[in-house]
Amino acid sequence: MRSPKLVLQGRKIVKGKASGEAVVTSEAISFNGGVDNMTGIVTEPGHELEGVNISGKVLVFLTGKGSTGGSYKIYDMVSRGTAPVAFIQVNPEPITTIGAIIGNIPVVAGLNENPTTVIATGDFVELDADTGKVEVTKK
Amino acid sequence: MLLTDEETKMLNGDNGPAVRKAMEILVALGESFGAERLVPVNNVHMAGSSVLVAEEAGTRFVEDIRNLGGKFVTRVTTNPTAVDPSQWKEIGIPESDTALQVRLTGAYAGMGANTCNTCIPYLVGNMPRFGEHMAWGESSAVVFANSVCGARTNREGGPSALATALTGRTPEYGFHLTENRYGNFLIKVETPMRDMTDYGTLGYFAGKIAGQDTPVFVGLPNNPTLEDLKALSAALAASGAVSMFHAVGVTPEAPTVEAAFGDRTPAKTLVYGVEERTQCENALNKEPSDHVDWILVGCPNASVQEMREVAEALEGKKVHKDVSLWVTTAGAMYAMADQMGYVDTIKKAGGVVVRETCPFLARSRVIAPNKGYKTLTTNSAKMAFYAPGQFGLPAHYGNLSRVMQAAIDGVWR
Repeated sequence: MRSPKLVLQGRKIVKGKASGEAVVTSEAISFNGGVDNMTGIVTEPGHELEGVNISGKVLVFLTGKGSTGGSYKIYDMVSRGTAPVAFIQVNPEPITTIGAIIGNIPVVAGLNENPTTVIATGDFVELDADTGKVEVTKK
Repeated sequence: MLLTDEETKMLNGDNGPAVRKAMEILVALGESFGAERLVPVNNVHMAGSSVLVAEEAGTRFVEDIRNLGGKFVTRVTTNPTAVDPSQWKEIGIPESDTALQVRLTGAYAGMGANTCNTCIPYLVGNMPRFGEHMAWGESSAVVFANSVCGARTNREGGPSALATALTGRTPEYGFHLTENRYGNFLIKVETPMRDMTDYGTLGYFAGKIAGQDTPVFVGLPNNPTLEDLKALSAALAASGAVSMFHAVGVTPEAPTVEAAFGDRTPAKTLVYGVEERTQCENALNKEPSDHVDWILVGCPNASVQEMREVAEALEGKKVHKDVSLWVTTAGAMYAMADQMGYVDTIKKAGGVVVRETCPFLARSRVIAPNKGYKTLTTNSAKMAFYAPGQFGLPAHYGNLSRVMQAAIDGVWR
């Protein structure tokens, strides 16, 4: 049986291509204090993703939040191999955008459908930030 | 976003990999905020200069940029660090922070920063010009520069300020554009402003309501001091994410209420009277006991005038043996106060004049337990606001004479 494929169109925030398994949250994420940079596990108490490991995943989330030190934490996670491979955001904001640029993580935002509702955790996502195209293979 | 030929070359890597990375940061930032172009900038104040903010990762990033051939093309000043350069050990700053800080400050200096390491760059050689486009970090300095000087800057984090320093450009959005600089709501001040602490209390009140919006004050005296405006700026950016305020008849973009609002109607109007002031003072002065152990004057960093006032209060007196009094300031202010004999007076009385760092940017979560500090006593609304959450110390908050009396008596009255 052929798995259904969903194609979404957004705009490039940070260039690059990546693919991987999706981890999805409709909440904002703080990389400074909300995620353990040593392991990639979300630690913010009460967060939808609390206890979930986001390393190596395509992180689909609302937006970034919190202190500007978060940009450096993303850079640190990339150098430790604990960072997500791509970001898909509902709304871009400076902290995660800058962290992704300095860490070479592709980012797409402003999609034609809300990515946090049409993509589910565990779906396989291929993303080409340069064209803004996101292909989702449902699990 | 529309780039000039020169900017396109920078983005393509013609000026090397450090400039290319910097340009990528600025273009992506500009595109995510809908900027149409970049504006030339020749003035950067670098937040993220303390290892408490940058940590190992940020330090490595700044070093990496320098190793890629990064060189600053703008004037650059730096914010406080996590370390007092000469007495870090005595005041309880961890050695690991000192070692990392030497690397981070060295990387900034190596690229051409004036590492003045202070949150009051406007008092030590980086005075913004009216209308000047800048890329400043340090929220209190951002508010002061936009409001008091009429310069134009957004609140820049470490990497974006670094990117501007390497390229001389910043995306044109937010507070760079006249239409975003008008006031959003009105505060009628109907209580006397007695000293700089009163200005801090007012800033705390307005910041809580403002969020990211710009408050307009009417009813303030027309002769506030530099220190008053510094305290107001700092508190606005602590309890709120304010980037700018207008004080009608005081700040340069607010000759009249109409000018401050750009002829638009205020979204709301609030009154700040004695009752509001008392409520705010009580919210900041929350520690119920009279226990005093750690006292901080100099948030934002003390001016020479403030150090003179501290020295006068301590003349012929002694700081209580159970009290650590920190007066935090910039190296340049220290030199002037030293020349005037204020540093000597403070030291003889048992106080410590701390340079280049403060409880907020040093690792107070380690310093306080090591030194046995249980509370923080201060005349700064910003510090009283942050101390409970950021380093777990409840605060005593009051004006300078009350705080200095506590330093001498060892109890809060």
